[in-house]
Amino acid sequence: MARAWRCLEAGCEALITAPDDEQLVAAVNRHVGEVHQSFELEEVILDAAEDAAEA
Amino acid sequence: MVTIGNVDRGAVMARSEIMDRGAGDDVASRFHFTREMIEGSIYRKYEKAIRGIWNPKDLDYAQDAADWQRIDEVKQRGLLGVTVRFLAGEQAVTDELVPMLAAAHALRRYDWTMFLSTFLMEEAKHSEFFMLWHDRVVGVLEPDEVAAHFLVRSKTVDPTGRFEVKDVLHEALPRYGGLLMDAVAGGRQAEIEAAFVQFSAAYNGFAEGVLTMPSYEIVIDTTLMWDAFPTLREGFRRILADEGRHITFGTAATRMLIEKTPSLERLVHQVFDEYRGNLVGLVEYQKAVPGLDLQKYQTMKVRHYRNRCREMGITPDQTLIEQILDPDIDFVVGVEAG
Repeated sequence: MARAWRCLEAGCEALITAPDDEQLVAAVNRHVGEVHQSFELEEVILDAAEDAAEA
Repeated sequence: MVTIGNVDRGAVMARSEIMDRGAGDDVASRFHFTREMIEGSIYRKYEKAIRGIWNPKDLDYAQDAADWQRIDEVKQRGLLGVTVRFLAGEQAVTDELVPMLAAAHALRRYDWTMFLSTFLMEEAKHSEFFMLWHDRVVGVLEPDEVAAHFLVRSKTVDPTGRFEVKDVLHEALPRYGGLLMDAVAGGRQAEIEAAFVQFSAAYNGFAEGVLTMPSYEIVIDTTLMWDAFPTLREGFRRILADEGRHITFGTAATRMLIEKTPSLERLVHQVFDEYRGNLVGLVEYQKAVPGLDLQKYQTMKVRHYRNRCREMGITPDQTLIEQILDPDIDFVVGVEAG
């Protein structure tokens, strides 16, 4: 089952998906780094990650 | 504030009547592990903490000490304004965690108690890291030496008078912690759960989860901008990994209690409302380093706030979000130390 995490930066709402939790953490931090010049904590990502139909 | 050691006999008797811990003939009550517990999210955080233990004394502070000597006094003053806040803050959150442990015990959440044992050790270790960094890099350690670099909160004011900037770590945490200890001494489960939600909202939700997050990034961005202080940056990386577990423990526990009693959500909003002034603008130590894009740190608070609300399962305060993003709300900051 793929995993998904929605970015809650002001005005963003991007949905990031990945095949598993490990790749989701990396994908979220790519997004937050490139788009918001910031980072997100692994535990924060994992706690709000949800199952997704596909990555 | 009622402490564990000060609980009088009457309070203890009342508690035993209200929350019978079953220490009599029920031998099974002396054992706390269940398969459900060790498969749960809180126990997973405990296991992750044990796997990730690190020691501040294993880090090499020599390059940071050399970098300190080569930067000018303006940069030294700016960086020290932030790091001294962390030195004080990590000691405060270490000292103020006991009420949460007492509540976990009273609520018979052994998985919370196990995780909180790592939480307390990690906060103590974070304070040790900052003590070592200031001693070995800057050469200050004694209270009067570091206090001389503490940027004074009374010099941060909202020129419109709408918002008051308070001291969350040294005022809110002891006060909400005292209320939680009172509730634990009283022994009524509903009151303990309500006081836990308040305390966790202040500690994990507000202080760790929103207010401090931009400060971590300010220090990390500063070390990258100056190409300096690699050990300070590495220490922050390790501390943040620990803090992620602390924040999400508090928000997960709060979510469980709010799912059980939905009316507790209002207590979270009350805490954030009481300290709203600390979020709607950047405070003195967050403006101390020259050359940073300060708007980025203000904007990111919205993400952290909305993350915390999502984790707690509550509705964000849209007015607070609009105030955080309002460029007209800013504080006049005095940067005098001492």
